Amino acid sequence: MSILLEHTPINSKSRGTDSETEVISHFFYCINVNDFQVAVEREQELQSEEMDPNRPPVPPGAARMPWLPPAAGRGFMIDPPPLGRARGLALAAAEPETGRGRGRASAAASEPPVSPFGRGISLPVPEAQVGIARGMLPPVEQKGLGRARGSLFTSLEPQVGMGRGASLFMEPLAEPVPPVKSQMLQLPEAVPGFVEEKKTPEKTEVDIPDPGSSLVSMIRELGIEPSKSWGRGAAPMGRGSVGGLAAAHQSLVSSVGFSSVGAEEPFPEGMTLRGTSFVGRGMVGAGRAPVSPVGFSRGPIASPELPPGPITPPPVSVALAGPPPVPVETTVAPVKVEAAREPLKKAGTKGNSITIGANYIPIRCKNEAVFQYHVTFTPNVEALSMRFGMMKDHRSTTGEVVAFDGSILYLPKRLDEVVHLKAERKTDNQEIDIKIQMTKVLPPHCDLCIPFYNVVLRRVMKIVGLKLVGRDHYDPSNAIVLGKHRLQVWPGYSTCIKETDGGLYLGVDVSHKVLRNDSVLNIMGVIYQQSPEHFQDECTKEFVGAIVITRYNNRTYRIDDIKWSKSPKDSFTLADGSETTFIDYYRKNYGITVKEIDQPLLVHRPKERSKPGGKQIITGEILLLPELSFMTGIPEKMRKDFRAMKDLTVHINVSAEQHTHSIKQLLQNINSNPEALNELQRWGLEISPEILMTQGRTLPMETICLQSASFVSSSSADWSREVVRDASISSIPLYCWAVFYPRRAAEQAEELVTMFGKVAGPIGIKLERPIRVELRDDRTETYVKSIQSQLTSEPNVQLVVCIITGNRDDLYSAIKKLCCVQSPCPSQAINVRTISQPQKLRSIAQKILLQMNCKLGGELWTVSVPLKHLMVIGVDVHHDVSKKKRSVMGFVASLNSLLTRWYSRVTFQMPNEEIINGFRVCLLAALQKYYEMNHSFPEKIVIYRDGVSDGQLKTVEQYEIPQILKCFETFPNYEPKLTFIVVQKRISTTLYSYGGERFGTPPPGTVLDHTVTNKDWVDFFLMAHSIRQGCGLPTHYISVYNTANLTPDHLQRLTFKMCHLYWNWPGTIRVPAPCKYAHKLAFLSGQYLHSEPAIQLADKLYFL
Amino acid sequence: MCRNGSDRMAALFSPPLYLQRYQFVIEYVKRFIPRKVIDLGCADCGLLRKLKFHRNAIEVLAGVDIDCAALRERVNALAPLTIDYLQPSPRPLTIELYQGSVTEREPCTQGFDLVTCMELIEHLQLWEVEGFSNVVFGYMNPCAVIISTPNVEFNPLLPGLRGFRNKDHKFEWTRAEFQTWALGVCMEYGYSVEFTGVGVAPGQNRDVGFCTQIAVFQRDAGVSNGPVNNAVQMEPTVYRLLYRVVYPSLCDNNIFQRTLVCQVLYRAESLKREFELGEQSMQSDLTACAHSLPPDVVAGSTVVYRHRSHVFVPLQHVWTDPKVQALCGNIHRLRQALMDDSRVQLDTDRDAIILPDEGEEEEDEEETGECEEGNLTPSPVIDNSEEDWETEIG
Repeated sequence: MSILLEHTPINSKSRGTDSETEVISHFFYCINVNDFQVAVEREQELQSEEMDPNRPPVPPGAARMPWLPPAAGRGFMIDPPPLGRARGLALAAAEPETGRGRGRASAAASEPPVSPFGRGISLPVPEAQVGIARGMLPPVEQKGLGRARGSLFTSLEPQVGMGRGASLFMEPLAEPVPPVKSQMLQLPEAVPGFVEEKKTPEKTEVDIPDPGSSLVSMIRELGIEPSKSWGRGAAPMGRGSVGGLAAAHQSLVSSVGFSSVGAEEPFPEGMTLRGTSFVGRGMVGAGRAPVSPVGFSRGPIASPELPPGPITPPPVSVALAGPPPVPVETTVAPVKVEAAREPLKKAGTKGNSITIGANYIPIRCKNEAVFQYHVTFTPNVEALSMRFGMMKDHRSTTGEVVAFDGSILYLPKRLDEVVHLKAERKTDNQEIDIKIQMTKVLPPHCDLCIPFYNVVLRRVMKIVGLKLVGRDHYDPSNAIVLGKHRLQVWPGYSTCIKETDGGLYLGVDVSHKVLRNDSVLNIMGVIYQQSPEHFQDECTKEFVGAIVITRYNNRTYRIDDIKWSKSPKDSFTLADGSETTFIDYYRKNYGITVKEIDQPLLVHRPKERSKPGGKQIITGEILLLPELSFMTGIPEKMRKDFRAMKDLTVHINVSAEQHTHSIKQLLQNINSNPEALNELQRWGLEISPEILMTQGRTLPMETICLQSASFVSSSSADWSREVVRDASISSIPLYCWAVFYPRRAAEQAEELVTMFGKVAGPIGIKLERPIRVELRDDRTETYVKSIQSQLTSEPNVQLVVCIITGNRDDLYSAIKKLCCVQSPCPSQAINVRTISQPQKLRSIAQKILLQMNCKLGGELWTVSVPLKHLMVIGVDVHHDVSKKKRSVMGFVASLNSLLTRWYSRVTFQMPNEEIINGFRVCLLAALQKYYEMNHSFPEKIVIYRDGVSDGQLKTVEQYEIPQILKCFETFPNYEPKLTFIVVQKRISTTLYSYGGERFGTPPPGTVLDHTVTNKDWVDFFLMAHSIRQGCGLPTHYISVYNTANLTPDHLQRLTFKMCHLYWNWPGTIRVPAPCKYAHKLAFLSGQYLHSEPAIQLADKLYFL
Repeated sequence: MCRNGSDRMAALFSPPLYLQRYQFVIEYVKRFIPRKVIDLGCADCGLLRKLKFHRNAIEVLAGVDIDCAALRERVNALAPLTIDYLQPSPRPLTIELYQGSVTEREPCTQGFDLVTCMELIEHLQLWEVEGFSNVVFGYMNPCAVIISTPNVEFNPLLPGLRGFRNKDHKFEWTRAEFQTWALGVCMEYGYSVEFTGVGVAPGQNRDVGFCTQIAVFQRDAGVSNGPVNNAVQMEPTVYRLLYRVVYPSLCDNNIFQRTLVCQVLYRAESLKREFELGEQSMQSDLTACAHSLPPDVVAGSTVVYRHRSHVFVPLQHVWTDPKVQALCGNIHRLRQALMDDSRVQLDTDRDAIILPDEGEEEEDEEETGECEEGNLTPSPVIDNSEEDWETEIG
């Protein structure tokens, strides 16, 4: 499992290559497994940011436990049984803490009893939901996405049905309390959803365990009848039985991989009285255990804490025998309340309240439920297509709204419990009996349903006239045509239905697709004209990595390679085994005459992935004709052309006003289109016509401290004037430095040096005259040789300044390689253009001087962080372009309490290498360095980790963090507190300020920590930077681990403070400074150095 | 519908029979270049999807089926592709889908050049066939009709087949029966017919004929039920229009204009760039002294020139672009088209395109913030100095 790859769940272009069209068009009538799978996968990815409103985000602690340091949380578990019921209440309440806090376990312990009490109230909600949430996890886990708690079990059995069936038991508990109630403004729209949901419990009784699921049926044998509304009370019993079951099962289902559970934790029926916290957990266990092995995962985890004494041999016979001697009545009452799980505490309080909007649209589910059926064909029908066909013929029974994957059928309508249908197999006229058996009643908000909703949504988008390009929908009729640049910009939307802390929402982001009017062949022609000698290289540079769309279908492909040896005259093998040339293929199938016979072919290599069922691995290459492929995205050349980009960004960078207007337009188009409404209606969905309005906060302004001056940051979070007026915290005197410039830049170089002299004083920099080296030409070798000889002859050179002409990546790269790797010395490259305008020279010189000071090890400014013995670490990953798929991790750690000294490291990894290996090296080095400087180790470590997608959060939590903790063991008696925060920049959430009937951008420091947040984690959205143009794009922060016990307020404010400390920008930036530093460093190393920089530079910000 | 029997026959024919039927129609369209084609019993629009690519000159493509769900199923596949917007076709194309019965008279179905009716009639009751003939040949009265139906004589060669090829078939004809019906139709409505088919029997069983028999009808010259046509203009429609899409094409004036202007501007811009590059090299060579010639010298000239802060690109130069030529046909039309377009600025003689000379003034966005001088309003001071998170953490 490589956690290196940064995933952008929403925007990743490369993913958009599959057959969306097909998925959509098939869905209602039949979903063939592929499509279904694709749809589901996609949903799961898409949902990544999402949460469930009604589903308080309490994740069961179990899977997390292993990393909990011996914290107080455990104490609970060891509590002797007698405490059981009496304390049950409080404990169970505390229990969520353990789970949720990932590491907050200790908090649970120290928490005053008051809070459990308070929590008790909202208890009912979460628990059941947890069960459900789980239910859907197994499929995820199979994919290794690790979203589920139990993802330790990578090879989960595909008994999805069973898992789901089981989760329903918990259903009755599921309903009532809107979780966030107390916290923030709830949209009225959201409320009806809850109300409706209350109806579900009764319905749930119908639940019929999947026949194939042995676990479930065993539970039934044990007497836990799902139809009984046993409420919360039954839970402990469930646990007990589950324990037993597990034991019993051990011999039966060894493949599941939870044998250890059975062995170590064979809870017999009476088990409920065991350790108090287990009462609570038992509860969970019950809900969960049947779900799938997931439930059991807590088993092995919990077991170490159990006193070995009480272990009773697994009552195998009993479990299998049927009537279980489970003391139902005794347990029912007390546990009831404990079932409670309450939403994660993620709301902060600091700062001023502000009304903000977000690009989330509340969705109401009017259906009472979605019904899941198991379909069996007797005699068995192997071919899926035939199964689909047969089901299709029975639309009169199932209705038109069908989601079917070949054996599991979802309908928004209730059929009889068992329905038998007849069909005839066309091949042999065999009569087939189709048995449709209801297995589950899902609440309409259920995670399982969201994929269907998203399929519906895609249809709706098409109905309102939008075209699918890649993964998003665009409106060609409003295309902006930039004739000059031969491209079109299609406005559109990236949409996704997701579940957040606040409920079910439609997330809409305004998106633009840049499409080019030219085929790849046309562009090749242009390239050939420009540089016939480097034609192939230039083409590779231009096209590899680009996304193309083909002339004959709407698919997009990423170009991975160009096959120069091939041409359309070559032939390939069709699915039926016959050979055909490309020319014939396109003529025959699409009536396209290939005009250019001598063109190379483009290669797309699909990501290897196995088809569902693991039958077949899709590999190989897809070859495309340049003539029939059209480029998408902004051309590389244009990106570098400031003026051209301006033409483009004018259209792409929409203001908040335009953004909201576009969204409202879409909502209106949907809500006024009967066909679209009808489509939504099929699954009982109703999209609100208004975007979400809620209350956020603006965090307090920070005081920026220079050497002696300090000031409160302005409302625009910009202190460019102040930093050049007063002395920086510390400045390195520049006694010996060298400026290299080509002859024709001599004048500018001289002026710059003079200007440096003028502006250095106020900043507090002592500056001697530099060694001036005039180069006879501006060739790369000339620079390199001169610098090299200078550095050799004058080993005391503190800084190399190079004035270069034009945008020359090769030269820049050569200079940096020399100065960062071969002959380590801080270096500053200056484009002559930036210093050619006399009226700007002063401010440019000031900026450069500050930057040079940083590179030398000076310190510019800081903010106060009221935490002692703190180390803040930033981590980001960059993908190296030169070495395919190799990625670079940048690591930056603070070394002092002012957070002004930074230690940085870089590691390179191959695709399958775990980032953590490199990370460990970096962390140990940073800790040692910290010790050298402070004569102690940091007590608290806060890690900001960029580049982790939602799908990888679990991996981080379960794999990276334990490794990090292990790292600390290197030092004797060293157990620092750790907070691990994932930083996500590329998210689709947009925040708007709202005032005077107008939408704008929220001020820097705006934080939103509820409603649109993720139900599974403590997370928040923070907009730290000030926005000059465009929309308010916040950064998403997820606290994955927090033994430092930072409260939501601390997390938010610390993060905001860190956004003040990027010295290349006298203002706040989008991400915490260490992340930005790490990014810069990784970028430099991956893009230009292609190797690790010299260790001598590690304690300076040489990479700025 | 037409694909239903294909399971059984998949092994027998390659490519599958239904594809062969489609191919037959495609070949026909290629030869006879109809402009309006309607497919009766189009089911999931398989044939229409094929024809959409093999358009030749088709401008209207319609489909009719009685099964609304089947029609809807793949309807999105008929929508224009991204590329259709990027490079609009020179010809228009409209695709329409109707739900309705082929035994009903629907005014919209009149005036087609070609009616295809693949594997449809055998789904009608025998007594309905006459009504069908009347509607298709008498009422719709297209130039040509292609009708295919199973050849029952072939059935013994299909392994394991009992009865008809599909449960929904009401009859399956022998070649003689089919031909009798077809010739009868010709007599009555003034058509001539040719018989052929697809799906050749394997081995020596050739005498059973094609698996699918096909009749291609041509309306006899001069015979047209013109009067009927006019008379029914007022008739109410009986079909339900389920889907209609108009493809972007250069026949749409706006699209044409836009495409042309884009091409012209692009061409003009690249000419201007070449010119500027030339200018620069001249400057650096310090050889050219008069790079900005007075306008009277160059008026009506065919070279790019600069006047004040504008660059003039003669239309003659732009015209050399083959794409522009393809769009406009002649330079006068080009001039005409550009004259009234606000996106293009022509000089007074309408001989050159004027492009602004975006000289050196480049604004660095990042610097703009600096203009707000003295904007240092002291913000509400919040004193953080007293804070101690340590105690809060506990």
